[in-house]
Amino acid sequence: MTEKIVVTGYGIISSIGAGVEKTREALLKEEKSIGRVAHLNTCHTDIPCGEVKESDDELKKALGIASDQIITRTPLLAMMAMKEAISTSRLTDQISTAFINGTTVGGMEKSEKYYYDFFEGKHTEYISAHDCGAGTELVSHLFGHFDLMTTISTACSSAANSVILGADLIKTGRVDAAIVGGTESLSKFHLNGFNSLMILEHQPCRPFEKSNQGLNLGEGAGYIVIERESVAKARGANIICELSGYANTCDAFHQTATSETSEGAYRAMTNALLNAHLKTNEIDYINAHGTGTSDNDLHESIALKRVFGENIPPFSSTKAFTGHTTSAAGAVESVISILALQYGFIPANLGFSEPIEATGLIPVQKTLHRTLNHVMTNSFGFGGNDSSCIFSKYQPS
Amino acid sequence: MSIYIDKAAQISIQQPLCNEWFSNPSMPTDRLCKFVRPDFKQYISAAISRRMGTALKCTLSSASACVSEEKRSNLDGILTGTGLGSIENTENFLLAMLEGEEGLSPSNFMQSTHNTLGSQVAIAFKCHGYNITYAHRGTSFDSALMNAVVKFQLNEYKTALVNGVDEMTEKYFQLFDHIGFWKDRNVTIEDVRNATSPGTFAGENSVSLLLTTQPSEQPLCELCDTQLFYRPSDEQLKTCVEKLCHAFNINRIDAIVIGNNGDKENDAEYRRLAQLLTPDAKQIIYKHLFGESFTMSGLGIYVAATCLKEKRVPAHITMDNEALENPQTILVLNHFKQLDYSITLLKSC
Repeated sequence: MTEKIVVTGYGIISSIGAGVEKTREALLKEEKSIGRVAHLNTCHTDIPCGEVKESDDELKKALGIASDQIITRTPLLAMMAMKEAISTSRLTDQISTAFINGTTVGGMEKSEKYYYDFFEGKHTEYISAHDCGAGTELVSHLFGHFDLMTTISTACSSAANSVILGADLIKTGRVDAAIVGGTESLSKFHLNGFNSLMILEHQPCRPFEKSNQGLNLGEGAGYIVIERESVAKARGANIICELSGYANTCDAFHQTATSETSEGAYRAMTNALLNAHLKTNEIDYINAHGTGTSDNDLHESIALKRVFGENIPPFSSTKAFTGHTTSAAGAVESVISILALQYGFIPANLGFSEPIEATGLIPVQKTLHRTLNHVMTNSFGFGGNDSSCIFSKYQPS
Repeated sequence: MSIYIDKAAQISIQQPLCNEWFSNPSMPTDRLCKFVRPDFKQYISAAISRRMGTALKCTLSSASACVSEEKRSNLDGILTGTGLGSIENTENFLLAMLEGEEGLSPSNFMQSTHNTLGSQVAIAFKCHGYNITYAHRGTSFDSALMNAVVKFQLNEYKTALVNGVDEMTEKYFQLFDHIGFWKDRNVTIEDVRNATSPGTFAGENSVSLLLTTQPSEQPLCELCDTQLFYRPSDEQLKTCVEKLCHAFNINRIDAIVIGNNGDKENDAEYRRLAQLLTPDAKQIIYKHLFGESFTMSGLGIYVAATCLKEKRVPAHITMDNEALENPQTILVLNHFKQLDYSITLLKSC
């Protein structure tokens, strides 16, 4: 049997706050954060979002970065979460470490602002900050030295797929540890994109609700530190939990719609359970993808019923807290799932009142306090890029 | 377990979906060279094709040319590298949005995400396997290839499709021009053999490789491994090559593919490393034929695999302008701005 992969650190920032402590507190207090945007320059001010409170300048200040440094918002958010992940894990580059970053927006939030200026030779320093890998490179400087680094872009499952690649790199001995996750800032580009698809809610979203209209976009970043159990033990790391299983599949149906039988989501959850050697009744909580769109929530419900039958574990979507942080969602929600496991609680699915008629599934509506042993988190993306990860209480080998 | 490159297909600025470049290459004469388009109708129905951007049509065509119909839904993974995704669609949506945020059509947005290319292949192939897209500058393709190798090493794969796709629009070309990516004139083979100034020229590419543990009668070559590095020391790279040679029982590397593109700084690093890692190997160049893009390294693998299959490295792709007969082992080296590096080892079957 291959060696266990353990989680030894984490970091997060989203509209509910910066840091794991603030995040846990907001979840437990059921604090709401979805509202009008303050920093994003859009005419769609009636569309609520989960925007991180800090401006770029405030983030730079918090990070100790000069205010004139060329850096876009996506890597700034990433740095906030990355710093915390490094400090909580106390990981150093004495251990061979990979950095796997998930993002899609990249530097678009500045490119859309300066696009016409670029052609006149102004703000051209942001041209090479546009692509997804550019941000990864900048963020990597926070750590001594990464041996291997790459960027995954599978839309809303980018960060979950980063977790998966990191684990596979450790399993095959390419590295001993990996910092994995994702980051995404709001941009006018994807706000308008989602709006053109008519899937944005004009009030705080209500995942799994009968009358749901759409999702709220959010922004943020999350990273977790994963490593080989023996390496973590040898360096005396604080082991928070295990990454016990995961799977990446494809719905292979449509770019933005889900197949009737939710093949991708069904296979992602089923294969993750197989990978973790767990039975369906061993999952204590599912942090659902639950975007709030009728397409996702109906089809995720169908998939949950296919996988778990009549005994669906308690589940909730935390996107009513953070909004849909797109490429970061897999990491933001991995950190939330790890906190749930660590502190024994199930976060509430805010805004829910009536179940979807066809499936009748009822999420956890008020925070529950209970011991959890195995937690599953789902991330489904455009193009049917569907992934599930399972985190479990640490059992020393 | 051995991994084979069973089939390979390319669409680029050379004749598409064939190896005309090997014996009868066309010499690029522009600073921005666009795809030579294949007959898309062979691979995509006209009704669907009309709504698709160029990069997507090329991806579907090279992928389809690579994988026979009966194998498509059984692929264990479809892994794609693209530095910029479908920038044609991204630009269309961006320009419309900058005109006004009301009444935008979603079709360009839907095709703008990087993973559209790989997931559309999965949709066309009805393939529910692992599906991933890498967008990490000059090692986007290499990341996808490495991920595939990792999955083979974990015994999770029997077959996988790896794609490397990038297009270049007029507008993006201009933007990159502002930051010194391109030369102010066309790039010749002399530039690539001996660069004296900064800048290169732009190409477009869609390259697809079918990897398998159970090869057909005539696979191109064996894929030993792909390793990625970030700011590696020379020692790390040397050790990697030594370890790979040892693991695969190779006592001589016959040729090394280097990514010279006419940019002085870029090419100096390749020359230095080729000398360091494989001082006796024949040096193969390819970017004078294909141009530069974030995933052009996929063509580097394609060129090496083709040479192994044809048992010949033609003179027009070597640094010393002399052909090499019967190569058995080829190392493919890639670096992006001396930050990200990859090493791939191929051997003949």
